[in-house]
Amino acid sequence: MTVVLQTDGLTRQFGQLTAVDGVSLEIDDEEVTSIIGPNGAGKTTFYNLLTGVLEPTSGAIRLRSDGELREITDDPPHEVARRGLSRSYQITNVFEGLTVRENLRVARIAREGRTLDFRSRAGSNEAANEQIDWLLELTNLAEYADTECDELSHGEKRKVEIALALAIEPTVFLLDEPTAGMNPTETRKIVSLIHRLNDEIDATFVVTEHDMDVVTDISDRIVVLADGAVLAEGEPAEVLADERVTEAYLGSEAL
Amino acid sequence: MSTHDDSVTSRIGEFTRDAVRNGWTRERCVVLLSLGLLLFGVVAPSFQIYLFTEFLIIALFALAFNLLYGYTGLLSFGHAMFLAGGSYGLAIFLQESEPYVSNVVGAGPAPLVSWVLGAVFAVSLVIAMAVPIGWLSVRLEEIYFALITLAFGMLVYSVIIQNPQGLTAGSDGINVLLGVTEIGGAEFRLGDRQIYYYLTLGIVGASTYGIWRIVNSPFGTICKSIRESPERAAALGVDVRFHRWMTFIVSAAFVGIAGVLIAGLSNVASPYHAHWSESATAVVATVIGGATYFAGPIIGAFVYLYARWGISRYPALEAHWEFFMGVLIILVVLYFKVGAAGGLYMLRTWLLDVQAAYRRGGANAAVGFVRESATNKLRRDSDASESDTGGVER
Amino acid sequence: MISTLSFVSVSDLVIGLSLGSRLFLIAVGLSLIFGVLGVLNFAHGALYMIGAYLALAFTTQVIDNFWIGVVAGAIGVGVIGVLIEVGTIRPLYDRVEADLDQLIVTFGFVLVIHEVVRFVWGSQPYSTPAPDALAFSVSVSGSTFSAYRLFVIVAALVVMAALWLFIRRTYFGALVRGTSSDREMASMLGVDVPRLYTGVFFLGSFLAGLGGALSAPLQSTSPALGEQVIIDAFIIVVIGGLGSMFGAFVGAMFVGLMQAIGPSFIAAGHIAIPFLAMVLVLLVRPEGLFGGLGE
Repeated sequence: MTVVLQTDGLTRQFGQLTAVDGVSLEIDDEEVTSIIGPNGAGKTTFYNLLTGVLEPTSGAIRLRSDGELREITDDPPHEVARRGLSRSYQITNVFEGLTVRENLRVARIAREGRTLDFRSRAGSNEAANEQIDWLLELTNLAEYADTECDELSHGEKRKVEIALALAIEPTVFLLDEPTAGMNPTETRKIVSLIHRLNDEIDATFVVTEHDMDVVTDISDRIVVLADGAVLAEGEPAEVLADERVTEAYLGSEAL
Repeated sequence: MSTHDDSVTSRIGEFTRDAVRNGWTRERCVVLLSLGLLLFGVVAPSFQIYLFTEFLIIALFALAFNLLYGYTGLLSFGHAMFLAGGSYGLAIFLQESEPYVSNVVGAGPAPLVSWVLGAVFAVSLVIAMAVPIGWLSVRLEEIYFALITLAFGMLVYSVIIQNPQGLTAGSDGINVLLGVTEIGGAEFRLGDRQIYYYLTLGIVGASTYGIWRIVNSPFGTICKSIRESPERAAALGVDVRFHRWMTFIVSAAFVGIAGVLIAGLSNVASPYHAHWSESATAVVATVIGGATYFAGPIIGAFVYLYARWGISRYPALEAHWEFFMGVLIILVVLYFKVGAAGGLYMLRTWLLDVQAAYRRGGANAAVGFVRESATNKLRRDSDASESDTGGVER
Repeated sequence: MISTLSFVSVSDLVIGLSLGSRLFLIAVGLSLIFGVLGVLNFAHGALYMIGAYLALAFTTQVIDNFWIGVVAGAIGVGVIGVLIEVGTIRPLYDRVEADLDQLIVTFGFVLVIHEVVRFVWGSQPYSTPAPDALAFSVSVSGSTFSAYRLFVIVAALVVMAALWLFIRRTYFGALVRGTSSDREMASMLGVDVPRLYTGVFFLGSFLAGLGGALSAPLQSTSPALGEQVIIDAFIIVVIGGLGSMFGAFVGAMFVGLMQAIGPSFIAAGHIAIPFLAMVLVLLVRPEGLFGGLGE
């Protein structure tokens, strides 16, 4: 086993409120890790810290790149992405006015460092096109390749969301609520897609998720956040049997 | 001479018939359009050539502006500062260095050589302005970006008005006279309307092609992604601020070219070229034409200049042509965001559908299709307005 | 400080303050509308201009009473503002690029209003007589200026105080403050946000009309007036902070004094300095030198 992502006493305060409170975690490359917790537990803030959208008040983040753990704590989002940490969004965030293929092309151009290429035609790079076609097949989006995203259904957009994040060939892939707003059928499809992607793609998956069935289905390990701190972590059966976890959830529902 | 003309006309006729029979490919359209533009300079009356030259320059101004607005999502309200940068760069260069150039290359070719060097100097000057101004401006977004570019534009305007070191001649501006060039016995005046038209046509044509290549390049793809979602682009590894900065500089450089051309056309580098209301010209042309289409700013510039010319033929309306522009802008933003270019595009699709219906089932089918699409459109509009009121009450 | 001021005459100072007061009256409405609605109203200067014309028309053509002209002008402009908001701004709130679209639409109104005014009143400048009660001059330490200038300064202070009380002490003011800090929360708590927005737009436009009407005797009224003042108003609200009333006051006095006494001690840069200040504030403190609404 290899640690690909590590946080060390990661803390973020907003005024008086401590949204993330001394979180120390190690993500293993052979496991799918789910980060769960009641609303307001700090999951989204945690993701925003990892991806450089927010700066931590204290603590450190390290990501494995080129064979060793490097500190990315103060890197801006685009640097974090270039080092190999990619994310999807809970509220769908794709390039609505572009076709699915163009969406993925953006990711490939960024990945290959060709953002300042004025001279060639977009879409003329054969290697990139093959990558894109492969990803479209893998995510079952091939038939929508030339459809603009704002004409897609919610379920299809969620797939673009995932394909986009994977197109930059990340080391670690953070999925933020991949089944958000989906009906049971769509949810089943996404879950099997995640399984397939995890088999086919050489990236470590970290997932936040509300749906407990999904969590137990896909995770090898669960981390429970409550009030910004790690409440419990371990194998799914063990963690879900933990009384403190039940209490944290029930407590929040009682509110 | 006349036989030559005849053969040219007959060839164009042949070409057009061929295109009508075998379909309008993009190549055929471009060839025919180029021929038309080249012929225009020969056959059109002098005033029409002037007006069309002005249109070409404004079109380039708006196209370059739209690289930042329509393609990258940043609304600049100060782009006229680069128009002025181009104009004054050329004017000051001509004023200060024409004697030296004359000494080096001789009096004959001096006006042409000075103009070329002046144009290069002017565009370099604009880039030198855009590098720091852009670097500072892209720190802001949305309305704040519009405000800081407005402020920078007016700062440039006030510097020009203040006439630092006697360099800009204050509110009078600097006269730009393109003299008679003589090379190998041939004499021509660069400022001649016809010659200047071809010069402008060549430069605007090349610049348009350049901008078209840019928006279709990987660089342009990244611009569009930033317009759609800067946050997402950053999460994929795009340095959004840096890319906006680069786009700002490229956009400014092309505006600088338009500035060089406008100085030669109007024979003056005027502080008015830096004023915010001149920046608004690019905004108006682009919005009317449709910011999301490549050709939008060109069509918008055409509407802008030719609507003014058309209105000017009715003296009662002439003085108030801006009224119609204002109404047009309001209507386009409210109800028809795709602009004139989008309208033409939709019309073309519809006409092709009508044609297809005609091929399938003759005149009756075509009429049926027209009727059907009209009722569908009416029904959609009434649905849309109902859901609109629902939105407000909610 | 004293030595700097010693070569600035009292009359220049009063002119500067009255220019600042005039600018405050236009900028405060712009700032209020932006603070609550998030709309940067490019047509605000044009509304100010209509206020000046309406005051002129009422005073010289309808009834020979300046004060009725001022009130009628302000209300008339407020009503025009409501028509603009309901007809063309409200449909755009839900768009992705709402703020830019609204800026462009209101720019469209700059052109429309400019031409309508030219059509109705022509291009020539008019002067509006000051009301008889204030048509006398005051002399202070050798400088002479019209009593009306003093009155405009007082009027700006009164408007400032009245607005402050209105925003801070009334129920409507509380709603305005609440909505400006969190629109969705206000909406969930049952505030009729669209109606409140229209109300604020009326108030902002009313203030623009009031400013235009009150300062009509200080300036010549011509169709170029709107475009002249809107840029000054942008400078002011940026420096003071978009949404801050106190900031609008300080910004307005800065720009007004710069126009009046700037040329006498910084001859070379007095046109550029306000724009430079605007750039610096946007870069260093984009929220403006003073906090948000009612601070």
